[in-house]
Amino acid sequence: MEERDLQGLIEEMWPRLKKKHLYPEIPIPRARKIQDSSRGEAGQGEDVGLEMKQKQMTINPAFVSGMRGRMAEEQVVEALLDHGISHYTFCPWDFQTHLRLYAEAKKVMGDKELAKQVADHFIDVIANTHCVKKGLTPIPELHRHLKKEGMEEVIASLYERIWGMDLGISAPGKRGEGHEDIVRRLARIPYLNRSQWSESIHRFARCLKLLLIEDQKEKDAQGGKGQSSPEGEHDLTRYSNEEIDQGLRDYAQSTMTLPQFRDVVDDFSAELKNAGYGMEGGMGRGRGFPIDADILFYTKLAEAYSIPLRKIPLKQRGSLHPYSHLPWEIGLPFQDIDVWTSFGKLMPGMTQVWKRREGKGRGKNEGAPDCLIAIDSSGSMINPRKNLSYAVLGAFCATNAYLRSGSKVGVYNFSDAPMGGKDVLNYTDQRMEVYRTLCKYFGGGTALDLEDLAPLIGGRKNLDLFIITDMKITNLETLTGFLGQIRNRVTAVHIGDNPYAARFEKAVEKKGNVSIFTVKRKEDIPRIVLGKISTYFESE
Amino acid sequence: MKTPPSPKNISTGLPDEEAFSARNPFEEFETLTCRKTGIPLDRIVESAEAVMGRIRRGYEKLLEEEAKELVWMVQYNTIIKAYEVAEKYVKEIDYTIEDIEDFCFALENTQRIPYLIPGPAGVYLSALCNNAKEEEMVLKLSELKTEINLIGFRLPSGKRLVIEGDGGDFTGIGLEGGELIVEGSAKNWTGAGMKGGKILVKKNIGLHTGEWMMGGEIYVGGRVRGLGNIVEGKVFERDKLVYPGKARYPNLYY
Repeated sequence: MEERDLQGLIEEMWPRLKKKHLYPEIPIPRARKIQDSSRGEAGQGEDVGLEMKQKQMTINPAFVSGMRGRMAEEQVVEALLDHGISHYTFCPWDFQTHLRLYAEAKKVMGDKELAKQVADHFIDVIANTHCVKKGLTPIPELHRHLKKEGMEEVIASLYERIWGMDLGISAPGKRGEGHEDIVRRLARIPYLNRSQWSESIHRFARCLKLLLIEDQKEKDAQGGKGQSSPEGEHDLTRYSNEEIDQGLRDYAQSTMTLPQFRDVVDDFSAELKNAGYGMEGGMGRGRGFPIDADILFYTKLAEAYSIPLRKIPLKQRGSLHPYSHLPWEIGLPFQDIDVWTSFGKLMPGMTQVWKRREGKGRGKNEGAPDCLIAIDSSGSMINPRKNLSYAVLGAFCATNAYLRSGSKVGVYNFSDAPMGGKDVLNYTDQRMEVYRTLCKYFGGGTALDLEDLAPLIGGRKNLDLFIITDMKITNLETLTGFLGQIRNRVTAVHIGDNPYAARFEKAVEKKGNVSIFTVKRKEDIPRIVLGKISTYFESE
Repeated sequence: MKTPPSPKNISTGLPDEEAFSARNPFEEFETLTCRKTGIPLDRIVESAEAVMGRIRRGYEKLLEEEAKELVWMVQYNTIIKAYEVAEKYVKEIDYTIEDIEDFCFALENTQRIPYLIPGPAGVYLSALCNNAKEEEMVLKLSELKTEINLIGFRLPSGKRLVIEGDGGDFTGIGLEGGELIVEGSAKNWTGAGMKGGKILVKKNIGLHTGEWMMGGEIYVGGRVRGLGNIVEGKVFERDKLVYPGKARYPNLYY
């Protein structure tokens, strides 16, 4: 079929289809270019009818032509689009649901590829059944004419049973031996009940496990990837980057378990890399970092919590104000050119630029100072790479708060510091570097080395200190003594309740520059207020 | 005398007032014929859920009536009494093997079945299997966090029950001629009081195996931790006959 004819047909049908599906927010589908189809992009020739990328559905004209004589072209296009649209309007609906379904399938199948296949079949069955239940769709007609082998045959038998329609499978002897049992079990699953999807995919995967393993073995023996689904593949390219961001955030929050999140992210690492995860820095060449699922987990969780940061009056520090004019010379920045006094000309000698000076208004300009995060990663703390650590999550949230305010963050990650259990990161605005240092875990004993801390603070008055620990520090007195000497704002967060924390609280209760917060549950994290102090030494 | 204007004549000053008031902002959707059709899936799911509801209620009633005795004191009399209660409820239900599988699946999801108590669950599952129409049954219990006791109780002749996963204590007790296959291991008192039939445990088996066993055969693929006081019957360990034959002291650790 000609690409132009197909595009015309889609444009003609689209208003009706949009109305049928209650106006989904998706762009008008496109016909794939003939040269792409003939080349068989991504190994797909006539087999795949629909492709979805970044919410854009693309119909393959070769597939539509291939169905000629069996089905009207309008019906083929409508069936494909009905199917595609229902993925956006019903199942999986969003990226988080897709991940959730995949994770459930993986629990049963134990293998990434098989779990993806199960999730794909499950999502397709739901999308198609949803359309059929709503009525007025040529999807059953399309399935009647599709080639059916192996899994497709079982799924078609399932459709026959649950839709009550003849799809050309029921002929005696056509249905595979032993599949009747599987189909009978599959037909009992409440596909259209969204609240039971997690359970349902579990049951779905159990029913198909053996069959899929056999199917996979056959494909491996033939040395091929096997047949592609005519209704398109369900990779992550269908989601926009924003949807992936949101989905990962929601999934991290809904699971709250690091191993499960890591498992899923590792399985989708190739797709996530294509979506831009794991890429750091700007332009240029060089090897990217592999996606660190643990850091991604804390990053996504931290995005959900916003910790308030009290600004302080900054002396001799404010925005730059235009002060006087200077003649422009080649090499001076264009953005400072004053177009009014330069008469719109760009010419040395005529063009003038603004000379800027820093504002001095003491007490008028508020800002956030840089912050030193001291995080305890001793044996008494949770290993952030094994389980959800509130200490690391809190530190991530604090990092976000300071970096958002344009400040820099330094990290002092310690366990038994005098024995070398420490990592120091100098003040930086590189978020990933900070995250990586915060996620390090040393284990072992806990002791602070003031010789490390003192140079990091370096007598800077405009510096906040954020310390997060369970307070089971061998030289806790040294720490309290040190905090008594400095005049910086200190936010101390202790994880859980213990006698050491009570001792620390008592020791610093009279110090106006130290505020203490307890984190026992994740809900306590947003209650932390950074830089909350009773006395501002600076304004004295 | 002036008559007040009829309400029809009161003007609000809006342009094209009549058309404005008559217009339905959603009229475009009126032409949309969204006809929801009933499909066989609805009926299948509805009937499966109805049967599941009845099976679940039967289990809950068994818990209410018999749980105390079964949990605290496992005596043969209490087991028989509990089984009779379970059988009473089970016989009222028209179910298939798929319904039993769904019940096992529901046992894993504690939200749907409020209590998974190994003893009563085993008695109830045994009653379901023994009264099922099918002769061959496979129960997937491998994902259960708790091992179910008493599974395969009184399995009658002609029935074959395969357990995917491990069995708990008292697996296959009072077996009445059926064939019980445990893909994993079974715990203590397996096959106690069995009258006939065959128990095949693919991995290991615990203490008191075949206690007061009156007939039948027990095959163990792994190790037998201890034999009970066997009256009659055969016990094989890795295809080797361990009872009768070589002198074996009952309940001895070996």
